[in-house]
Amino acid sequence: MIFHDFGMDTASLAGPLEAKLAAIRDAGFSQVMISAADVVAHPAGTAAGIAAVRGSGLEVTGLEALRDFEGLDGAMHAYKVDVAKSMLELCAALGGRLLLVEASASRHASVDAGALGRDLAKLATLAVPLGIRVAFKGQPWSRAARDFRAAADLAMRAESPNLGVAVDAFDVLATGVPLDDLDILDPAQTFLVQLSDYMWQDARTPEEQTAAATHFRVFPAEGAHGELLAQFIARLDSLGYCGNYSFDVYNDDYLQMPPEAVAARARRSAEWLAETVLRRALPVPNLERLRAQPQ
Amino acid sequence: MTDATSREAIPEPQNPLGIDGIEFVEFATSRPQALGGVLERMGFRPVARHRSREVELYRQGSLNVIVNAQPADVPRTVQPVERPVISAFALRVRDAQAAFRRALELGAWEIPVRAQAMELNIPAIHGVGESLIYFVDRYDEFSIYDIDFRAIPTVDPHPPALAGLHFFGIVQYVGPDRTADWVEFYSRLFGFRKLPEETHFGIMPKGLLLESPCRTFLLQLIEPEDTARFAPMEEHLQRIGLGAPDVPAAVAALEKRGIEFFATERVRSNERGALTKPLVGSVMFELVKSEARR
Repeated sequence: MIFHDFGMDTASLAGPLEAKLAAIRDAGFSQVMISAADVVAHPAGTAAGIAAVRGSGLEVTGLEALRDFEGLDGAMHAYKVDVAKSMLELCAALGGRLLLVEASASRHASVDAGALGRDLAKLATLAVPLGIRVAFKGQPWSRAARDFRAAADLAMRAESPNLGVAVDAFDVLATGVPLDDLDILDPAQTFLVQLSDYMWQDARTPEEQTAAATHFRVFPAEGAHGELLAQFIARLDSLGYCGNYSFDVYNDDYLQMPPEAVAARARRSAEWLAETVLRRALPVPNLERLRAQPQ
Repeated sequence: MTDATSREAIPEPQNPLGIDGIEFVEFATSRPQALGGVLERMGFRPVARHRSREVELYRQGSLNVIVNAQPADVPRTVQPVERPVISAFALRVRDAQAAFRRALELGAWEIPVRAQAMELNIPAIHGVGESLIYFVDRYDEFSIYDIDFRAIPTVDPHPPALAGLHFFGIVQYVGPDRTADWVEFYSRLFGFRKLPEETHFGIMPKGLLLESPCRTFLLQLIEPEDTARFAPMEEHLQRIGLGAPDVPAAVAALEKRGIEFFATERVRSNERGALTKPLVGSVMFELVKSEARR
């Protein structure tokens, strides 16, 4: 299956969970990143949301997102641990093996690397019995981990084999991180790569970056940065990354379009990536690079 | 490394919880009599019953095995079915509450206090799969069993061990590529240490061994191989390893009691170890040459 390495995100689509899942499946995708809100907001309850995902025939890329977890003290820390446990249990119930954790943007959070590493290690330990890996992702508006470089540094500090990083292509596109910096990544500890493009040529101010990140993302090659994205993926590929790619696209327009129409756009994007970018990374023109997945 | 203490390499305590061996291993089954029969053939004697629950204590020498037939009332714990499964093990520690608190601080999942299984009022955390790990600190002057259990009359409460049997370890099946995660779990929470990969005991040499900080028992982590890697598999505690100073003598004594051992080309009893055939569907005991450590 040519699209197997790519998955959509339920947060990219409008409509009830079942309609989102059907649109993703019917567009030819075999995996889906689940936004926790889509499951727990199911009108018939969380159990019905879980059943919809499990019955969809789609593999769960992971569950998103635990936010503002690390760096808190006392009661705030205890509260976030409870939130984390709840998300880990939801992830396991969905059959997911990965929890996406976004670097804290809380101004109450410590920026002490030792404290942050300890909290991430605790989260990773909580995830072990459930068989879940934790993918820690930098955020442009986080004080301690603005992008994958700082995220990888903190994750390494935690020294937990089931704690790695998620790399968001948006970091590279919008914040001007040099592609060479991807070389710091350990492919074995890179658990997820999220892809998106955006329309603007550049987003220089933090305000513009935040607006682009949260409202104006489009699928790869739909925006102004197709060539850069192609280089980004080729670079990860040459590093030896062989995990999943998930389309991390939030766009106000897409949320008032039929999910089928948006999923069709995602399909075109995945086709472009598979045919153009990944084939280019291959020494011979076949699809062996797309991993055979256990069925 | 920019930690304030990083230049001094302050060592973690070797045995942070004061772990001192395994106090008991628990099986869950809806057919406790059938499992009890097997345990008796293995040399155990039923010595006590729980005051209010369908739970029995079997013992020989230093080995305590609990058979739990009580339906579980805690999520993510073993619901007794016919096929017995290892549902818990208990670590002897210096201070159970302190050990429990430290484990939670490092990322263990607690069992709701009021529902702590068997009403033993001993703290527990979630282990692999649906199993639990208890912390027990009353094992010297008086024991946890004195409170929650009623001795079975006329039975020797401390029957001697058959052929010097003692706890040697527990075998845990883990998922593909999951060994490192579990090594981290056991070393971070309890201070277990990975033994060199070439270290093996007995006749079942697969997997990786973790040694308890008290150096009296081992955990053996085994990943699925080949095509089994793609088969659905729940991670679980698979079998108990029993140490015996003289394995052939122990095998002979157990065979006399009706226990059968594997005798295939790949798995066959010898002086290093032995493996029983599955009993009541799933229960296996592995024998490993070992002197009892005190």
